[in-house]
This record gives sequence, C-alpha cells and structure tokens, in this order.
Amino acid sequence: MGEASLVVVAGFTLALDRRYHPETHMWVLETGPGLVRIGMDSLGLETSGTLVQLSFLPTGTELTAGRPFGQLEAAKFVGPLISPVSGTVLSVNEEVATDPGLAQRDPYGAGWLIEASMSETGATPPPLLTEPAQITAWFTARIAHYRLHGLIAQ
Amino acid sequence: MVEPLRIIDFGRSSPLRSQTFWHAIAFGVSASERATLSFTRPGAPYVCLGYHRGIDEVDRDYCLKNGLPLLRRMVGGGPVYLDADQLFFQICLPARAVPASSRQALRVLLEPVAAAFRAVGVPAMLDDDLEICAGDRKICGHGAARIEDAVVVCGNLIERFDHERATRVLAFADPSQRDQTLALMRRFVSPTAVDPAAFQAAMISAYASALGLGPLVGGLTGAERRALVGLDERFTSDAWLAGPTRPATARAAKPSARQVKVRAGVWTLGASYDGAQVAASVVRGTIEQVRLQDRGLNGSTDRAERALTGIPLQSVARVLAGFGDPGRRLAGAFATADPARL
Repeated sequence: MGEASLVVVAGFTLALDRRYHPETHMWVLETGPGLVRIGMDSLGLETSGTLVQLSFLPTGTELTAGRPFGQLEAAKFVGPLISPVSGTVLSVNEEVATDPGLAQRDPYGAGWLIEASMSETGATPPPLLTEPAQITAWFTARIAHYRLHGLIAQ
Repeated sequence: MVEPLRIIDFGRSSPLRSQTFWHAIAFGVSASERATLSFTRPGAPYVCLGYHRGIDEVDRDYCLKNGLPLLRRMVGGGPVYLDADQLFFQICLPARAVPASSRQALRVLLEPVAAAFRAVGVPAMLDDDLEICAGDRKICGHGAARIEDAVVVCGNLIERFDHERATRVLAFADPSQRDQTLALMRRFVSPTAVDPAAFQAAMISAYASALGLGPLVGGLTGAERRALVGLDERFTSDAWLAGPTRPATARAAKPSARQVKVRAGVWTLGASYDGAQVAASVVRGTIEQVRLQDRGLNGSTDRAERALTGIPLQSVARVLAGFGDPGRRLAGAFATADPARL
C-alpha cells in the first residue's frame, strides 16, 4: 500500500487502493489474478468496539458472498464477518487471530483478515465501491451518519 | 395495528435445552422475523462457555466429578456457572430492527432489563460498560450474538448466587488467584432476591414498551422444533464443544497470563515468567491484592507485595525495577497481561 493511497477522512484512515462493501465495511484488495486479501475498514472496526476474539473458517473452505467467513467478538457480542466475495479461503491471518487488536491498530496493513481465490460462480457478489471519489463520499457520509446516531465520538 | 412480541416461557428445562431452546428461536426469528422474548430456568446446574472461549478455562475434572455438564453457547462472554436459582431471559429480533453497531444494539436491548429491575424495586442501571448494576455490583450477566439474520441478547435474573461454586468451576494454575477471584466475586456480583414472576411480567412490559410491540403468548414453530433437534445434536458434539477453528500459531501462542474478569474493570491475573509467578487482583486499574513467588526474592517477598499493593497496573515495572533480577522476572510475568482482551 503506497502512502499516497492512505487518506484521513474526518479522523478515520481510509485506503483508496482497494474496493469496499458499503454495508459491511469490508475491503477487498487484489493481490494477483483472481486472488484477494480481505479486511475491515477503520470505521467498521471502531463501531464494533474493542475486539477480544476473531475466528475464521478453515483454509480451503468455500466462501459465498454475503455469508460469514468468520466471527468477531467485542463487548460479549459475537457477530459475523461477512464475505464480500465468493471463492475459497486460501489463508487466514494468524497474527490477527492471536492478537485481534492488530486489526484495529493497522486495519489496511498487518490487520488483514483472510486471503482468498475468487470464483465467478455461485451467488451474485454484492456491489463493491471501486472508484476513490465514490469510496471517499461513501466513507464521509457513513462517518456523519454514525456521529449523528452517537455510534462514534464527535 | 401493533406488531406482536411473541412471548415463550419454557419453564424449567434441562441444561441442554436451557441453551438450545433459545438458539432455535434465533434461527426461527431469522427466517420469520417474529420478535420473541423467551424465558427458561435450568433444572440442574451446569457450566456454559462463550462462543470463543477455551475449554481449558474450566476445571473439567471438577465438573466431571460433580456431574456438571459443559456446554458452549453461540453468544459471547466467559465461562459461567448456571443453576436453577437463575431465571434466563432472551430477547431476539430480526437484525434489520436492531442498530448495526453492536454496542448500540446492546444498549437498546439491555435498557429494558434495567427498567424491569427498577420496576420490581431494584435500583438498577445500565452503566457505560453495558453492565446492569446496582451500585458498584453487577446483578445480571449477559451475552449477545447475531445468528444468521437475527440478533439475540440473553441474560439472567440471579435470585441466589453460589459464588464459591462459580469460582470453583474455573481452572487456575495458582490457588491464590482462585482465592482472589472468589473475594472479588463476593464483592462485585450480587443476587437480587425478587419475585421471579413479577420480574418476568416487568420484563414483558419493558420490552413491549421499548420496542412498540404487543405481547402475545406463543410457542415454537415447526421449523424451530426441527432446528431444536439439530441444535441438541450439535451442542452435545465434541466438535462443537471444542470451539471455533483456530490457526495453528494462534493455538501455539497460548498466553501465559490467566485473566478472569469478574465484572468490567474488575479482574484477576495469574501469570508466570522465567520461574517467577504472580497472582493479582485489579480493580479499576489499581492492584488491590498481590501474591508473588520468585526464587531470588528470599526475604523480600512481603516488601515487594506491599510495594505493589494500591499502585496502578502501569506502574508495576517501575516499582519492581527496585527488586533486581527477581523484580525483572516478576515484571515480565505482569507484562503478559492484556486487559484489552478481558
């Protein structure tokens, strides 16, 4: 990730070199032909609270877009990590599984969650935001929405 | 017309069913979108693990010898001792009806519980840590999860609480930590001996009012009964009890610190490093009680324990620096603590 691709929007970092699923705050970074790395953006992590546990489907498991590829736990709440793509789990980030706080300290770098190969078949993938201007506008609007509803600090 | 809030009272149930009943409801609510408030009371004591927690946090030999089944739930939190003196409640809603932020969802879905306690005369409040307290004592446990397209929050009215047994079922390497945990549990976890029927009525009223729904007594649907059969099987399988898959290095990187949370901001630590061993009680960031063991302390153990008592946890390394190599080893043991993961 180049320094130039990382921007700060209203106090939250945002990497513009990848695609985003707007409802789940998951990002998708292409790492090779048909290969992606998946993580969660800084805003999604902030609204989750302090992560105490992360668990993932085992390597080799098939992924379906819109279905969980793992679970996170914060404040005794267990919630799904929703896959933004269909494909197969190639690897999980063992460092972040051991130290979930890493996802919050470095959400676009060392705090990635899983790597996957993408498949063309299966469920229709949810629309992902791809253009930097589109991504920035969505992120700015989400911050305003969360602040309005008291979900993040002013 | 007001939408219904389905009310199901399962009465007394087996330990297994006291978990699988309401998990089946979650799958039913996910499919049907029928908001449901349910109640049950386990007919026998057991131990229940949060979704992500390790079996090694429980003293399995003690549980086996005392006939205490061990079950794993889908919601979060630590291992807990449960028995017939606790009335369980579960509120389950379609996920679309709940704030997307889990903290906000918990606040919205736990506020009615605090209101119900107040309605039966208990001065309860939902604090900033999202715990239901009376004064500085926690009076209600809770856990939550999104299960498919439903969100469930569960908790309990603790009519009587066996602090001794609740501590005894936990695994500790150091008996000092068990003693410290029991002392904190007695101080910070309290039962509320109110009429359970009155509490149940207050809960129904509080949730109906908060959610703008009309209470309607109901039962499990056919689909939920089928889900129940599958859940009974899953919850009694070794694979489910073992917990979610963890990567090999995460399993290997077993922390040497044993941290037991009694309530938010109140916990004990048992840790060792290079032969040094510590057991400490931490209350809102301050060490209240500490037991130290190190081969090099000789006659300085009491002095080191006094020096640490009453100081902030973050000052431990500075204070122990005055105790030479034993201090360095003991500071290393304290450094394995990770309060963020409590």
